[in-house]
Amino acid sequence: MLTGKQTWQFSNSPVIESWGTSGGPFEAEGKLAADFDVLHDDLWMGQDSYEKAHRVLLEEAIHSALQKGEFQKEEIQFMLAGDLINQITPTSFAARTMAIPYFGLFGACSTSMEGLALASFIINYQGAKKVVTGASSHNAATEKQFRYPTEYGGQKPPTAQWTVTGAGAVVLTDNQDKQGKIVTTSATIGKVVDLGISDPFNMGGAMAPAAADTIISHLQDLHRHPSYYDLIVTGDLGRIGQATTYELLQQAGLEITREQFQDCGLLIYNEDQPVQSGGSGAGCSASVVYGHLLNHMKKGVYRKILVVATGALLSPLSFQQKETIPCIAHAVAIERN
Amino acid sequence: MIQSVNPEPGAVALYEQKNKELAEKVEKDIQSFDAIYDVAVIKGKEETLVAYKVKHLKRFGMKKIEKDINKLLEDHYPNEDFVVSSDYKIFIETIELLERMKDPSFSEKKAEQQLQRVISLKKEMT
Amino acid sequence: MGKKKNLTPVQQQYQQLEQKHEIKRPVWKNCLNAFWVGGLICAVGQAITYFYIYFFDFTEQTAGNPTVATMIFISMLLTGFGVYDHIGQFGGAGSAVPVTGFGNSVIAAAIEHRTEGFVLGVGGNMFKLAGSVILFGVFAAFIVALIKTLWTMMGVL
Repeated sequence: MLTGKQTWQFSNSPVIESWGTSGGPFEAEGKLAADFDVLHDDLWMGQDSYEKAHRVLLEEAIHSALQKGEFQKEEIQFMLAGDLINQITPTSFAARTMAIPYFGLFGACSTSMEGLALASFIINYQGAKKVVTGASSHNAATEKQFRYPTEYGGQKPPTAQWTVTGAGAVVLTDNQDKQGKIVTTSATIGKVVDLGISDPFNMGGAMAPAAADTIISHLQDLHRHPSYYDLIVTGDLGRIGQATTYELLQQAGLEITREQFQDCGLLIYNEDQPVQSGGSGAGCSASVVYGHLLNHMKKGVYRKILVVATGALLSPLSFQQKETIPCIAHAVAIERN
Repeated sequence: MIQSVNPEPGAVALYEQKNKELAEKVEKDIQSFDAIYDVAVIKGKEETLVAYKVKHLKRFGMKKIEKDINKLLEDHYPNEDFVVSSDYKIFIETIELLERMKDPSFSEKKAEQQLQRVISLKKEMT
Repeated sequence: MGKKKNLTPVQQQYQQLEQKHEIKRPVWKNCLNAFWVGGLICAVGQAITYFYIYFFDFTEQTAGNPTVATMIFISMLLTGFGVYDHIGQFGGAGSAVPVTGFGNSVIAAAIEHRTEGFVLGVGGNMFKLAGSVILFGVFAAFIVALIKTLWTMMGVL
């Protein structure tokens, strides 16, 4: 049901039945290694190209999500997923393997929540009984497309971020037994915001206003106070973007504490890993939320969280043509009954 | 390699006193240059090979130094034919040749051959 | 940052706010690291030059070519074993400017696009970073040679 300007409330609260994640070698050394279902010690993952490895990541995340919920892939009506590579081929190829009716999504790094919002909407209005949604990114494949070759010795500025090698997937169902289950209750679809940052090595700074805009709209539409949530977690803003968003929220008069406001890009790696400003990529929010955070919710550490996945909608071509970076953010509220 | 100064006596390929004297004179002349700290001279049948080392901080003026040396040699010894080089390789080859020439069994012919080889090295550009 | 011309007041205001949080490049530290990393690479190059002078028939003039080839070979090994990008992150311009940086940019691209085959992948993408270095390097050399020729003809040199 549309509430306010841009928010859906899901009165039938779709249930997040099971979840799965996969990650690469760099993530295995990170803080959240224990929350990954599958971890690879090699970026190639036994494939002969990074793009194929990328596909494998998503397949594994979906497989482990299906396995944990004891679902057969034939039971799933739809799959909504996306990634960052040209024409989202890794995801589409994974969908070929899965043979589940498929929507390909592109929202850059916000794809995870775009997928979750749409999947919840479909379930909420009986468009399906079971839907799988996810997102993934692969460091080497993404760098290859957006930046320089992996082994190129260019110096990255401290504002740069490290693309996560990882995937996360969840199975949403219309399960009527909601006792103790984790459900999605509302989603806010963001609008594209561009405040003129054109440095592709400072995505956090570019995405911050989009994140702030979506969070403010969400709370306004639902007339909620930030304290309603145990945790408001952004997708991949990194150090700079997160600090900037925090200040924007303060300026807007929201009472939000620093502990309550986290970022997946900062959660995933250890302090001593050379990731400059933090993690990024579609797989960043997907693997942290669909792994670490849902596990914590299941354990009862958090009851209500708002996930705001942010995406920088640039292409290698657009920044070479000196275009600024338009950004977007989608928010989904996840609660445990 | 760079510091050790080797003012080798200006030995001569052809063991005639006159040539030796000439080589010694040439060596003295070159040593008078401020920017140069090491010189080796060999007088051959036709050419006289002059190899020298320029002080590190004066290397910016290498072209000019070479010009000056050529001019000086031209003025003092108008009848002689000089091959002048600041190349380090030429220098070490010259020193080596001088060392070998001290051995009396090292024939004049061989010395001349060796000298020609060094000169051809100098002329090689790439 | 210099191109603020087309920004609306809102954008300018935001960018000021964002600048506050932006972590600045540590310029002096980068310069220092570049200085000694670059110096170290050049010292290695010099050592190789002397190696060729001492043990082979190369003069200072002619030792340049084998030295460059050797340096590129070393940088190829370091790139292939995944070391050079770490040196690059640390040394910045110090590792990019010497010929090893050029070698690295060619080889990194070649390795990266190996998966697209030899012709379209390696062949087509090998010079995607180094291509402009070659183009503008050759062009600049042409201009300089032209100027020198003109000067010589006019009798300045």
